[in-house]
Amino acid sequence: MEKPKTDEDQQLVARTQSGDASAFDQLVVKYTPRLYGLVYNMTSNHEDTNDLLQDIFSKAYKAIRGFRGKSSFYTWIHSIAVNMTLNFLKKRGRRFHLSLDDVDASIQNDKEFLELTATSSPVREADLSELQRRLNEAMMKLSDEHRAVVTMFHIQGMPHAEISKILRVSEGTVRSRLFYANRQLQNYLDEFRKNPVG
Amino acid sequence: MDEFNENEIAKLLRLKRHEQPPPGYFENFLHEFHRRQRDELLCEPLWRILLERAQDFMLRLNVRSLTSYPAAITAVLVCAAVISLKIYQEPGTANVAALQSQPALSTAVNAEGEWTLASPVATRIFRTQPLRNLNESAHTHRAATPPRYVLDSVPVSYEPTFRF
Repeated sequence: MEKPKTDEDQQLVARTQSGDASAFDQLVVKYTPRLYGLVYNMTSNHEDTNDLLQDIFSKAYKAIRGFRGKSSFYTWIHSIAVNMTLNFLKKRGRRFHLSLDDVDASIQNDKEFLELTATSSPVREADLSELQRRLNEAMMKLSDEHRAVVTMFHIQGMPHAEISKILRVSEGTVRSRLFYANRQLQNYLDEFRKNPVG
Repeated sequence: MDEFNENEIAKLLRLKRHEQPPPGYFENFLHEFHRRQRDELLCEPLWRILLERAQDFMLRLNVRSLTSYPAAITAVLVCAAVISLKIYQEPGTANVAALQSQPALSTAVNAEGEWTLASPVATRIFRTQPLRNLNESAHTHRAATPPRYVLDSVPVSYEPTFRF
């Protein structure tokens, strides 16, 4: 996923700070799909994601006058999103249910999906909804912090350095969390590999 | 095959990108955001709205950057205080100019001030604002001149004696 141009963001931020609300609207439109993916893959619940996303942008709008540009807007808004989602997940605890979005039809043309169905028998044998359910359940078994790193790295395609800035941890910590999370996912998906049709 | 390898795990997770919200969700999101903002504003008490406006105003003035130079601000305030005190205490420049344009008069007044027994305040009044001409005596007034209610720093011996 390509990182947006920071110059454009800076201009929009400056306009927002000078009282132009339409500039913030442009930032909302620009970052909603990206942040939706981040929050959704951390919560696995569409309704929670929607509420959180509204709160995230509301908080960002209130705080943007104090934004001094020490980091990029991209990093700043992602930090707000991750922190608010982690706080929400702590409050929610273990009482949750999956509310998954539909898998869009374009997956059938996805090169990696085609490769997986060609080489991996579990993926080939399971139907899409079953694959989706297993993946989300495995993700939800990870700790919140590990899931955040996995989401940003594997699903959103962010580099380690960017993740470390957003989470305010070292790159080494990001790498070790990823390594640990991958090992756990391998274990959680082992059942799926053995019994793909559930 | 024992288990998914790391590469396969990464590929499987990337498939989650295809999980997308219902069509039109992103288009409606901004409208929903505006609606919630309005609702929040209506629910907020008046004092909080005023406080936020005040905070916004202060941030626009960039007060933080001003407070980062406390020494400069203090210096400016001290200078302003000193200047305002001087302006309050010193006579107008017009009077000073008048004094300079009349050297004979000012000399006489200064000479008078040297031997006066009057209070320093009265002396200063005499020095800065000459109240009489050299031709005038201390206790006589011409008909044209308005009555004066300022104490003269004139020796007591000059005062007329009382007669009963």
